Amino acid sequence: MNTFALVFGAEFARKIRSRPFLVGTVAGMISIALLVLAPAFFARALRTSSSSIVLAGPPALRARAADLLRGGYDVVAQRDALPMPFTAAQLDGDHKAAAAIVLGAERRRLRIDVYARDLSQVGEGLERTLEPLQLELATGADLAGVARLTNPDLHTHAVDSRFADADAAELAHGIAFALIFVLYLSIIITSQSVMASVAEEKTSRIAEVLVATISPVRLLAGKVTAAGALGLAQITLWGVTGLALAPLGLGGMLDNTRAASPHVPLTLVALPTVGIFLAFFVLGFVQFATLYAAAASLISRTEDLGSVATPVILPVVGAFFLAQYASVAPNAPVSVIASFVPFVSPFVMFTRSTISNVPPLQLALALTINVAAAYACFNLAGKVYRVGLLMYGKLPSLAQVVAAVRS
Amino acid sequence: MLTVEQVSRSFGSVVAVRDVSFSLPTGQTLGLLGPNGAGKTTTMRIVLGIYAPDRGTVRWAGAPIGAATRKRLGYLPEERGLYGRMRVHEQIVYFARLHGVGPADAAASARRWIAQLGIEEYANRPCSELSKGNQQKVQLACAAAHGPELLILDEPFSGLDPVNAQMVLGAIEGLRRTGTTLVLSSHQMWQIENSCDRFCIIADGAVRAAGTLAELRAGVPERVVRVAPNTAPTRAVLDRVGQFDAIIAGELHYRLPADSDFAVLLRDLVAVAPITHFEPIPPSLSAMYLRAIGSAEMEASIP
Repeated sequence: MNTFALVFGAEFARKIRSRPFLVGTVAGMISIALLVLAPAFFARALRTSSSSIVLAGPPALRARAADLLRGGYDVVAQRDALPMPFTAAQLDGDHKAAAAIVLGAERRRLRIDVYARDLSQVGEGLERTLEPLQLELATGADLAGVARLTNPDLHTHAVDSRFADADAAELAHGIAFALIFVLYLSIIITSQSVMASVAEEKTSRIAEVLVATISPVRLLAGKVTAAGALGLAQITLWGVTGLALAPLGLGGMLDNTRAASPHVPLTLVALPTVGIFLAFFVLGFVQFATLYAAAASLISRTEDLGSVATPVILPVVGAFFLAQYASVAPNAPVSVIASFVPFVSPFVMFTRSTISNVPPLQLALALTINVAAAYACFNLAGKVYRVGLLMYGKLPSLAQVVAAVRS
Repeated sequence: MLTVEQVSRSFGSVVAVRDVSFSLPTGQTLGLLGPNGAGKTTTMRIVLGIYAPDRGTVRWAGAPIGAATRKRLGYLPEERGLYGRMRVHEQIVYFARLHGVGPADAAASARRWIAQLGIEEYANRPCSELSKGNQQKVQLACAAAHGPELLILDEPFSGLDPVNAQMVLGAIEGLRRTGTTLVLSSHQMWQIENSCDRFCIIADGAVRAAGTLAELRAGVPERVVRVAPNTAPTRAVLDRVGQFDAIIAGELHYRLPADSDFAVLLRDLVAVAPITHFEPIPPSLSAMYLRAIGSAEMEASIP
């Protein structure tokens, strides 16, 4: 077994057994579960508390209104008329409804009386929902006719787009955001792991024995790869948790909105993207993680980690925000230029290539630049790492590091 | 054979070692001596290939120190550390495997070292749970478990109590018996005086003296002679050939030129007084060390 595999195995085994990793993984799974399930839970709670209504009025009017209200309201009871004076106790008697709505028609005008505990929850939305009924009364046309009169015949035609329709484009945006977030999260999580690991070896003085035994570059490679593999394993576990619980969470949301699920097969959008993502993931990860390791090799006390961590973590945050901008304006000059800038490129170019038609030459150029940048980062980090591991005392200045690397 | 020839290394404007040369035949032990900051650790790091020298060469078995050679070397640095969460046996196996030893051999070697150092009961405990002394034993095992041809030990006794120091000394003797070439540094001269075949005394980054104990002694121009009883006639004879040094426990200590004829001196003393004790004392390693370091300091003090 070569030394790279040995370092990788030992690093992986040490980290996976460590308390911070176990606690972080379990806490992450719980957080994901809460994030997935909470919206559905609250949606159900909101549906029962603020969307349930009692409908009253003439039967014909009620029937047509009930059709219109079906999307956003839960009509729990219908009455010809409400007993007056109307009280909250009567709402409680009707499945604890949030409001009672009384419909009436006077001189071709719809009258809506709302009785509710909290009027802020029922009002403008209701008025807009029942607008077609008002138009029906005013014009004498049936509801279908009203719909024809009020809704233009919209036809969309994609130009210079890789997606056939709006659903596919929207899904691509979602996938781009999700995968960029995975890259961002991997780098942030891994940076902590890589830095802590290097700092442990440096401060506990194991580093000197290690660099006397094996090449610092192999040591660095084994460490970064193990941290990356662990980060990916952790995120995969969180992803599986989210996907496993998604039907429960999404089911609740759909029950509430009664929205149709997207008709675009996920694989058709995702498959071409996965290859590009993996390439940019590896290249981006190598660029950042090696620099984190190099930065951590410069400290002598774990307390100094913060002072070297901030300058190298800020570019990740910047790259993430630039990717958000690129998702809105993929062909803006800033997005195009950022696609070729090392460190930022993996985020921006991946986003652009997922949601728009990027010329293959641009994609190839960005990949080439990133391969070169990853190689340069790895070599530079290897040199800093080699000298940094043996530098003790006060945190060295940039000039001192450059001088040490040159010597 | 380890050959260090004219090795120099600077860090910025600081010259850490300057034209350091020594050689060590295979299977022998070299004591690298010098005060703190003398350049011992830098020399060791250069031998191990951790630092590249600015000038000069280091060869082991005739070949420059490269990646393949480093697998055959072992190193116990002065500042030591272990992976706290890794278990003792696992840790020794890991370091042996980093040096290219197969899994089964590494495990067997780890077991042997654990037994030899008397830490069997801790074999499956995380290293962070061990006492400092036991951690140092584990570190020695990590440095030696792969059976290095050349083992470099930087201050192997520092921080150890006398019992543990003796145990480590026993392990070093064991390595000597198996033919391992050793380079070790220590401030405790008495501990290594009998364990080393050769010595190299470094001060201010330069070699001040090097060779076997006999060769080092040959370079000392004086000897001390102890004579009893302390009487006027005895002192009169001694004053003619040497320089008074001290009276210790009633015995006279005089410094004489190394090439003095001690048989003639004894005859002259016996002729003037009844002599109860006469002993020419060869210079100890400590004395030769202090002499070498002292002369270096004196030279440095000359403007």
